[in-house]
Amino acid sequence: MSIGPGRPPSKGRVRVSAPRAQAAHIPHRTSVSDEVAQQSDVGELMVRSLIRSQLRLALVVTAGFIASLLLCWGLVRWIPTFSDANVLGIPVPWLVLGVGVYPVIGTCAWLYVKAATKNENQYRDLVDEK
Amino acid sequence: MNPAIGYTALILVSIATTMIGFYGLRVSRTTSDFYVASRTVRPWWNASAIGGEYLSAASFLGIAGLITISGIDALWFPIGYTAGYLMLLFFVAAPLRRSGAYTIPDFAEARLDSSAARAVTSVLVVVVGWFYIVPQLHGASLTIRITTGLPSWVGAAVVVAIVVLTVVTGGMRSITFVQAFQYWLKLTALAVPAVFILLMVAGPGTPAPLPGGAELFPPAGPLTADSTYRTLSLMVALSFGTLGLPHVLVRFYTNPDGAAARRTTLIVLGLLSIFYLFPTIYGVLGRVYLPNLAADYTDATVLLLPGKLIGGLGGDILSALVVAGAFAAFLSTTSGLVVSLAGVISQDMLGGSVKGFRIAALFAAVVPLGVALMTDSLALAGSVGLVFAFTASTICPLLLLGIWWRGLTDAGAVAGMLTGAVLCGTAIMWGARLDEGAPLREVLTQPAAWTVPAAFLVTIVVSRATKHRTSATMSRFMTKLHVPERPLAVKDPRG
Repeated sequence: MSIGPGRPPSKGRVRVSAPRAQAAHIPHRTSVSDEVAQQSDVGELMVRSLIRSQLRLALVVTAGFIASLLLCWGLVRWIPTFSDANVLGIPVPWLVLGVGVYPVIGTCAWLYVKAATKNENQYRDLVDEK
Repeated sequence: MNPAIGYTALILVSIATTMIGFYGLRVSRTTSDFYVASRTVRPWWNASAIGGEYLSAASFLGIAGLITISGIDALWFPIGYTAGYLMLLFFVAAPLRRSGAYTIPDFAEARLDSSAARAVTSVLVVVVGWFYIVPQLHGASLTIRITTGLPSWVGAAVVVAIVVLTVVTGGMRSITFVQAFQYWLKLTALAVPAVFILLMVAGPGTPAPLPGGAELFPPAGPLTADSTYRTLSLMVALSFGTLGLPHVLVRFYTNPDGAAARRTTLIVLGLLSIFYLFPTIYGVLGRVYLPNLAADYTDATVLLLPGKLIGGLGGDILSALVVAGAFAAFLSTTSGLVVSLAGVISQDMLGGSVKGFRIAALFAAVVPLGVALMTDSLALAGSVGLVFAFTASTICPLLLLGIWWRGLTDAGAVAGMLTGAVLCGTAIMWGARLDEGAPLREVLTQPAAWTVPAAFLVTIVVSRATKHRTSATMSRFMTKLHVPERPLAVKDPRG
């Protein structure tokens, strides 16, 4: 099996070693990340809340995106100030649909990535707290 | 067009593609290398590769062709293609990468714990892939016919031969490099001639007069219930169809983790946005300067415009560049699809070995070649749009509900996929036989607006009715999909 440069460490690999005699004396403390791994109620609850917040985020950004598309459509269809205007000889409807929509898409994507990462970081902070 | 231009472009692209394919061969040795490039592809490479794979004949030739026919309404196509990636980013990218599955059927099986659901998904993925390859081959046939004068079948056959050769010898690692190269080739091939054409038409000095008092930007057609429905339905198909395209999804498994999958998608959106500025230029100018193209040649607007407006050697070189870009589009999308289909077919039927992958790749490419040779080309953007509608009605509900709804059961998923497939398939085939102006024609030829909600509805209702079939591992799988990678990793025993 070849291991190329830059291969991330395998996540599922567990080191198998002889049990350490002292280890048993350390009082066992359950961290939240253990709870998540063990499917405990607390862990389950936190995962559910993470999923809910990510879904809510995705739906909100989608709604915003659809609203801005409809706005573009409405502007070029029904508002004569826009539909009849020209910029550098190019009608505004063509500019809006041919060029202007893409920065909107990019902005939605960027906002989403930022917020989704923030959600995940919050989850991490919560879980990593002992 | 001078046939030498076509031959030169075709030969150059083929050589470049196979060279990069073979260069990649040296680093792909294990089965995992073959399937998903060992998941170590960097976001920029990966994003270029996704862009290269996604920008098919429909984007490169079809959009400009459609603009010459339907004017501003055609601009919704590139918007929809890009919006599809937005939906992919919002709902699918990171969780799907974390699912750890190679293909969509893998995902279905892991989520639903059911081999029947896996089988249905596999069949649908293969059908979608085949019907997506067919328009690429039609595009290749058209390009070969126009540029070299050779018979149509040569174009399709050449594309299939090159794709099978690269995929069989190099697997996905080399495909990643080939695809990334082909994105930049496609962008250059559209952008450079476009700049020269714009300078020619609107630059300083002597602006060429518009022939025959034509209007550059025709006003939009009247807003009717039909046209509104068509636009909305198209947007549903394109936005939700992208989620389920097999060649797009398999790409996400090559990201190292969920966050990288998101970063990659963000870059892809940028790359697509830049690319889609150019087909519009060709479409608008093509309508005016190539007014006499026959209806089944409008997709050749991009190929013919540089030669028409810029004469001499410069025109020849720019034409060669555009033809090369077009071939890059057919090759990259077809090879991406063949790789993902081969992954599905070989895992489900041939045991997932490297040899099985090679046999499956051949099988995945030859069937659509047969279909392409037996059928006539439709407008490229339109026929690709129908594939999106089908995908949105079948695979999209499985993915969206599988990722975000705990209640999805195997029975619900299968029922929803079959409903979507039957409704959408019937509507497309029935609609194609109706004459212009027949009642319900729009509803049938652009069915996504009702088949997608129907598929979702059936999936949800049947899942609710079969609650007892919820997979026992569902909860753990949902955790895996949504929890960021690090906290779940096994703790370093040294730490």
